[in-house]
Amino acid sequence: MNADTAARAASSAPTVSPVSPMLVRLADERATGALLRDHGTLYLSEGRVVHAESPVAPGIDTLLTTGGRLPRDGWQRAVDEAGARGAVGRFLVDSGRIGGGELEICHLGALYDAAFFALAPGSGPTRFRYGVAHWIGPVRPVPAAAVERETRRRRELLDQVWPYPAVDTSPVVPRAPAPGQSVTHRQRALLELADGVRTPAAIAWALGRPAFHTLLEVRRLAAAGLVGTPPDPPRDARPVLPGWIAEVSDPDIGLLRRLRDALEASL
Amino acid sequence: MANTEAALKEATTSIEGAVGAALVDYTSGMALGTIGGGKDLDLTVAAAGNTDVVRAKVRTMEMLGMKDEIEDILITLGGQYHLIRLLKGRGNNGLFLYVALDKQRANLAMARHQLKKIENALEV
Repeated sequence: MNADTAARAASSAPTVSPVSPMLVRLADERATGALLRDHGTLYLSEGRVVHAESPVAPGIDTLLTTGGRLPRDGWQRAVDEAGARGAVGRFLVDSGRIGGGELEICHLGALYDAAFFALAPGSGPTRFRYGVAHWIGPVRPVPAAAVERETRRRRELLDQVWPYPAVDTSPVVPRAPAPGQSVTHRQRALLELADGVRTPAAIAWALGRPAFHTLLEVRRLAAAGLVGTPPDPPRDARPVLPGWIAEVSDPDIGLLRRLRDALEASL
Repeated sequence: MANTEAALKEATTSIEGAVGAALVDYTSGMALGTIGGGKDLDLTVAAAGNTDVVRAKVRTMEMLGMKDEIEDILITLGGQYHLIRLLKGRGNNGLFLYVALDKQRANLAMARHQLKKIENALEV
């Protein structure tokens, strides 16, 4: 399966800095628990990723119920019946509500989607709570290396399509197509919800589609000129230094040396 | 009812001449599962690249105003066939099955028939 090829590719590829060093470490020690970050949570079982959630990405419940694939009360029933013993996925399949293949595909879609946002750069501190499991239960665990690699691939893909990240979080404003320009069926459904207020993530929730898929589609539409590209926020790359730094003319070299030695000794 | 791993295994065992198969989400270009392949055929790369083939054809159909659906796409190489079958299913999540076949050993009509059976077994 691709999981194994992914792991192989990761081990033979030249070292790239990991998306999350902590995830790599937890996978190595075959940890079980929840990796909490500002934009989402990854659930691990024996070092493999079994589930992920993010407030940005519609959960598997939204993906299944919006659009009517599964009635809302059917989902609720499964959570009530099997949530406490952590086997909601199994229950959905065993009770004939959904096929095993469909659940797997939908769950993988939700997992990689939430992981993409949870592993977004600069999203604050990372904590790990050992022993925590998600109530959805086992569906199809994926190696942490595959999640790492897919997250990196998705970041690169967005920038290849249209390198303007401001598009991702701004309201989607449709523009009139040029003569002869057409959109696909899936893009049309997206554009119909673009009212100048909804962001790509809000459209994803309304359509019951993964948030990354909607981001990518919006970037493609922006590249084609079918939605507006907002100006990037001004980037001030230089960190602002406190004023007193400029006033220090002769640093106490001796003190700095002693500090360094003390730090090195305690490492 | 089959899971994705079983469906892909079925694709490579029941289709004569199959050298690799992948189940691909064509919006994101992600392979949800792959089997076979190898150093001559990196299926995750093939998965991502072939999404562009599928999206181009979907767009062309829209431009032509054709209301029909794409059942499969065949790409014929010197030594291989690459067969792409779009999954229709209730979820309609924009997925396709991708199979690479050894041209010498493959029976194209049988391969298309088997692929259809695998799609039905997958129940998506």
